[in-house]
Amino acid sequence: MKAKKILSLVLSLLMLLSVFTACGTQAGEPNDTATAPASSAPAQSEGSSEPAKLSGDIIFWHSFTQGPRMETLQSAADAFMKQNPGVKITIETFSWSDFYTKWTTGLASGNVPDMSTAQPGHVSEMINAEAILPLDDLINSIGRERFYEAPLTEMTADGSTYAVPLYSHAQVMWYRKDLLQKYNLQVPTTWDELYEAASIINKGEGGAVFGCSVPMGTNDMMATRYLNFYVRSAGETLITKDGKANLTSQAAIDGINYWVKMYKNNSPSDSINYNVLDQATLYYQGKNAFDFNSAFHISGVEANRPDLMDYIDCAPMPTIKKGDAQTGYETSNIPMVIWKNSKHPEISKAFIEYLYQPENYVPFLLSVPVGMLPAIKEVVNDATFNSNATVQKFNNALNVISNAVGYGTAIGMEYGPRVEAGLITSQGVIESMFQDIILNGTDVQKAAKAAEDRLNELFEAAKE
Amino acid sequence: MNKHKKLLSKITAFSFVLPAILVVGLLLLYPVASSIFYSFTSKNLIKTTYKFVGLKNYIKVLSDSTFISSFLTSLKWTIFSLIGQVVVGFTAALALEHIRRGKGFYRTILIIPWAFPSIVIAMSWKWILNGVYGFVPIALVKLGIFSEIPQFFTTKEFVFATLLFINIWFGAPLIMVNVLSALQTIPKDQYEAARIDGATSLQQFRYITLPHISVVVGLLVVLRTIWVFNNFDLIYLITGGGPANLTQTVPIYAYNVGWGQKQLGVASAVTVLLLVFLLVICAIYFRILNKLEKEGPQ
Repeated sequence: MKAKKILSLVLSLLMLLSVFTACGTQAGEPNDTATAPASSAPAQSEGSSEPAKLSGDIIFWHSFTQGPRMETLQSAADAFMKQNPGVKITIETFSWSDFYTKWTTGLASGNVPDMSTAQPGHVSEMINAEAILPLDDLINSIGRERFYEAPLTEMTADGSTYAVPLYSHAQVMWYRKDLLQKYNLQVPTTWDELYEAASIINKGEGGAVFGCSVPMGTNDMMATRYLNFYVRSAGETLITKDGKANLTSQAAIDGINYWVKMYKNNSPSDSINYNVLDQATLYYQGKNAFDFNSAFHISGVEANRPDLMDYIDCAPMPTIKKGDAQTGYETSNIPMVIWKNSKHPEISKAFIEYLYQPENYVPFLLSVPVGMLPAIKEVVNDATFNSNATVQKFNNALNVISNAVGYGTAIGMEYGPRVEAGLITSQGVIESMFQDIILNGTDVQKAAKAAEDRLNELFEAAKE
Repeated sequence: MNKHKKLLSKITAFSFVLPAILVVGLLLLYPVASSIFYSFTSKNLIKTTYKFVGLKNYIKVLSDSTFISSFLTSLKWTIFSLIGQVVVGFTAALALEHIRRGKGFYRTILIIPWAFPSIVIAMSWKWILNGVYGFVPIALVKLGIFSEIPQFFTTKEFVFATLLFINIWFGAPLIMVNVLSALQTIPKDQYEAARIDGATSLQQFRYITLPHISVVVGLLVVLRTIWVFNNFDLIYLITGGGPANLTQTVPIYAYNVGWGQKQLGVASAVTVLLLVFLLVICAIYFRILNKLEKEGPQ
């Protein structure tokens, strides 16, 4: 009886212990406590020509969910680990939306990786949250002059550069050559010409193909993007230099009216709820004559409608007046960052530098040919890069987008990285404004003013 | 010695219960307590510091017209979903009870929606009712019911009703299975006795069936009220709360404030208000349930 009691007590204590043990393990705790010390030792040990041995585990988050991109990064990591036997790189992949949720929620608990990719808007938020390390030493080591200037400027705050550009792409106008030919149309160069051409195709196709779909779903930033195209082509910005929302300028009001008219006459009704994938799918399936996107459209069309591959191409963004120079492109310079709480920033830096070696970098870029333009200048002359069949076939697209990359910035980042840029694209305020105008018939000026006030409230709240 | 034995026995008993107390505390009490605490602070999702702001977050939420409209949408969403789910589930259960062959087969078929994750259900319906390629809208035009492709997710007239339909389709089988189980516990001799006494079908339903299953239905209504009111995934995945906030419920509002604007303090105030509201509703339900249980089947 006594033995039974003791056994019960021991069992209960064991259960209790198991609960404490489970609670005691932190989610983000590294499992290499017995290996490398937590230091940021330089890659070269002092007073020695021998490179310091790298040792430790790092976690790398990226958002390249498509097979080929994922595989090239994994191959590079495997090769790096082979060269550095003491290093273990664990790659975790999330979609961009999951990635955003993951790092914002993980920051408070310290559950963030050692290094990761990021979107330009994220970088400004990461800098604001003091979550990432300045990477000037790494950029100088790779060669600052080898990078294009605009992406570096976008990631620089208070004199320090916090992210290394990995690749760039820009939003340009995609069209269908066969449809233009069918209706005897030229490639539009102004917004008015685009409306005319879209209307002719929309009417002629009788619903089989839409002239120009205008996406406005509140769980994405597409309407903000479309409005930004118009406003930037008028030489204005959606966020002013002093960080205020700017939706009531003449250019913004004209832009809102333009896209509302385009939606009502040449877009599927469903596009009022479209996110980026819904919108892209419409083009991939040959149901949209004009679209705005990067060269990722090439792989999308290839996967869905390979028969259309000979009929798609892109052109520079339309302008307000014929002959105007278009300099207001939206570009995305996708960078890599190293997180402040990394125990091995030296490994992350060494791995990033390794990724830029031609034998790793060129195959990575060619995993989505033309979709990812090089962040390093000399790659445009690389023989392997230029001999790729898709690069050769879509050489015009490559030139159009390369030109756009040189002029553009991310939405709201025209004056450098700022938190407001993240908010204007993530809150669905502009999308709600468009929906309100279309569904409730709200006056454009009134709706624009309400949305502008709402955004300014959000900007203020973010500074508190 | 006896005293020592008693103490040992108490410690043993307490040690067995303690893990459960800790788990409940960590999984239930801690989140609730931290939400209440943060609702009085300026807590931001990605900032490490915050300060006490008193009732500011509650005032901000209650004076926000978007919150009020989201709350009204949530009420509408819950009431109509529940009525639809109970009516359809109840009717399906009564129908299945009278089927002699293939009862198990039909029951399995009807419960299938519960076997799929929300993302699959949302994406499937989004595709079926798509205003460009959707099978149903195109079929409706071909059948001559509509002259143009109906836009189920983009027009004021259809969007809320369409989401309600999907939610009823999804929720009714749960009611059906539970009601069916309760129906099978009713002694058949009570119906025989009633028939001998000349009771009509309606009277049998009113005086035999309903009293036997009222407690089960009541409990289901309590549970579904909480689940449907807190429902987030289905609406968010299909419409994101749009268009023009027509389908924005309180959980989507809280998500936008907490995860979009990163104002965790304000989002916590929303969840606390939601908790209080649901507690009041549940208290009312349980009073009614207690009354029904006391009355019970005669």
